[in-house]
Amino acid sequence: MNAKANITRASLAAGAGLLFAVTLGVRAQQNSVQHANNFTSTEYYGPTNQQRIKSILSGAEALPQPGGLLIIKQLKLEMFNPDGKLEWVVNAPECVYDTFKGVANSPGHLQVRTGDGKFRVEGEGFLWRQSDSFLTISNNVRTVVENGAIMNTMP
Amino acid sequence: MVHAQTDVTAQSSPASATTHSPDTTRPPRAPTLIDSDNSADFDLNGHQAIYRGHVRVDDPELKLTCGWLIADVPQAGGRPNHIVAETNVVIDFTDTKGQTNHATSDKAVYLYNVQNGVTNETVTLTGNPQMENAQGMQAGDVIIWDRANNKIHFDNPHMIFRQNLNGATPETNPPPVKTNFPQGTVENIDKNISNHIGDRPAF
Repeated sequence: MNAKANITRASLAAGAGLLFAVTLGVRAQQNSVQHANNFTSTEYYGPTNQQRIKSILSGAEALPQPGGLLIIKQLKLEMFNPDGKLEWVVNAPECVYDTFKGVANSPGHLQVRTGDGKFRVEGEGFLWRQSDSFLTISNNVRTVVENGAIMNTMP
Repeated sequence: MVHAQTDVTAQSSPASATTHSPDTTRPPRAPTLIDSDNSADFDLNGHQAIYRGHVRVDDPELKLTCGWLIADVPQAGGRPNHIVAETNVVIDFTDTKGQTNHATSDKAVYLYNVQNGVTNETVTLTGNPQMENAQGMQAGDVIIWDRANNKIHFDNPHMIFRQNLNGATPETNPPPVKTNFPQGTVENIDKNISNHIGDRPAF
């Protein structure tokens, strides 16, 4: 069955919190996070801009682990600015999210690109700190800046 | 302070250049690649990236290596407009005449902006900057590669000559001799040295 899994509210929130601010409520409920398949979670901007989507997180599987850890497989995260413009798209085959520390990491591959796809980064091994949206890629970092985005004023 | 400026194209240009309109007949431009052996940090809120450890920039118009590089990450639809490279900066580029140039410095700063329809794009080299091509080597306190106008500007320029000492074997690479004089005064220096340098560099 490929239908959306029965995901508790807490698991959705925890998933959404992967790369964004996790509310204290999630921490309080994290013990109730359940296994989920093919999940999608949408986060909206705050009270002043509630109709605007801030992020859409999806994954093939979310596996709760002891200690507030959550293994997410086939992660895809889309981040939007307040104007609704797609800013970043993040893809990772697998990562571990620490719901207490608000940190995600993986020894595996990571791809990040801007919404227009003209700036793309990939590498092996990463650490994401959600408090300030700070990403460290550990090894073999390759950035592709597409089609004349640098050094293209020559006639 | 002495200034010198060199056209790297045959035509004279104003201080800034109007933005070039897209040429639909040109083939798609190859992407720019930035690689680093060690870690890289990305501040997605601040739109900034920091690369460390044998950083390589491979662009169709230049190759750059350095130990550390920080770049603005463009907003969607934008482009990087501020890049700083530090530590053993080496830049190789081919100018519009097809001449290869080799530049070294401690630091290089790339700036790009468009103001009132005028494109400004510069690469500023500081920290023992030197630039070498087939005609010779020239240094300055600061070297500014004005890409928008295809000019290279030297602050306090000085030529660097390599003496061909008598008895030296062809493979020997003697220490460089550094002079400090305004451009165009090559004839005033010791003829024994100037005889070995050939034509004056075209910087």
